[in-house]
Amino acid sequence: MENDQLIAIETFCTFYNVEYSFVESLRNNELIETVVVDDHRFLEIPQLYKLERMVRLHHDLDINLAGIGAVNSLLDRIDSLDREIVSLRNKLRFYEPGL
Amino acid sequence: MAFVDYYQILELDKTADDKAIKNAYRKLARKYHPDLNPNDKEAQKKFQQLNEANEVLSDPEKRKKYDQYGKDWQHSEEFERARQSRGNAGGQGFTGGGDQFSDFFESMFGSGSGFSGGGRGARYRGQDYQADVNLTLRDAYEAHKQTLTVNGRNIRITIPAGIENGQTIKIAGHGGKGTNGGPDGDLFITFSIEPDSKLRRSGNDLHLKAEVDLYTAVLGGDLVIETLSGKLKLPVKPETQNGSIVRLKGKGFPVYKKEGQFGDLYVTFDVKIPTNLTERQKELFTELAKS
Repeated sequence: MENDQLIAIETFCTFYNVEYSFVESLRNNELIETVVVDDHRFLEIPQLYKLERMVRLHHDLDINLAGIGAVNSLLDRIDSLDREIVSLRNKLRFYEPGL
Repeated sequence: MAFVDYYQILELDKTADDKAIKNAYRKLARKYHPDLNPNDKEAQKKFQQLNEANEVLSDPEKRKKYDQYGKDWQHSEEFERARQSRGNAGGQGFTGGGDQFSDFFESMFGSGSGFSGGGRGARYRGQDYQADVNLTLRDAYEAHKQTLTVNGRNIRITIPAGIENGQTIKIAGHGGKGTNGGPDGDLFITFSIEPDSKLRRSGNDLHLKAEVDLYTAVLGGDLVIETLSGKLKLPVKPETQNGSIVRLKGKGFPVYKKEGQFGDLYVTFDVKIPTNLTERQKELFTELAKS
């Protein structure tokens, strides 16, 4: 893993004005994954978008950790269903080009 | 620019206290938050309106100004000056103009009054933008560059070959501006690929119906077919049946982001029976039928 693909948790917290403990709680609840390099905790880029979304849910809507976990898994499901719909629609379009 | 009723947006009456405003905002924000309504432009618009209404009504100073001048917001500065000098607020009519929601907000409170989301001074990522791009099947066959205009900004993108109908790609950092130095949002582009009149796509494979005359189908020969990569000479075996299919490996659609890899092309033979036969031709077919 290239280091330029990692973001220090401290940097994220400073940038978004988020408590370090909040990110730690998300990690403890297995809602995000982090990596440790030289005793420092980092986020991988694909986790960044996920974490940003969780911060927004927490700050904008006052959703607690359990709620974030539930919302997250439902959103992941919606995402996977959306992809399935696109794929099925394309298959159906093969038989009905007007769709 | 039209007057925006922030009380109506938050479904409140004008006597609502701070707690009622907060509760109304929370309730509606949970319903319309963009993260909970992915790819829903209406929800995004509604959420933006909620934020704007909350920004004004939850701030005592802004709320006072909004309540005081209401529909006459365009002249609030003039009124204020007149009121201070003459002790008279006067009354001039409101004149509407365009329909940009945030223009109203900026005109009344200035463009520097950004949304702060959960806490004042917090850095927030800008809004994600959604865009739709229509392509023909031929467009999607080859990687090409295209310039899009999103919110007045020209963005040059490279569309990789093999993109699917309904597929969405993310262009990082090309969404709305971040708040208080937060990062810019992303631009999500969804592609819509128009069906082709001759070629049908199934994943990375292409399907084509090729008309072949009866004589070539019976005796064999060559057929020239038009594919997305150009013309192709296709040998037709003798005694080819109507509806039979041949697979041309690697002549289909490019595999998305896998350079040099292609699906297959399936050609279905559509044998055409001759029409308007001459008497002589009918005689020959009769002979054939007897043999």
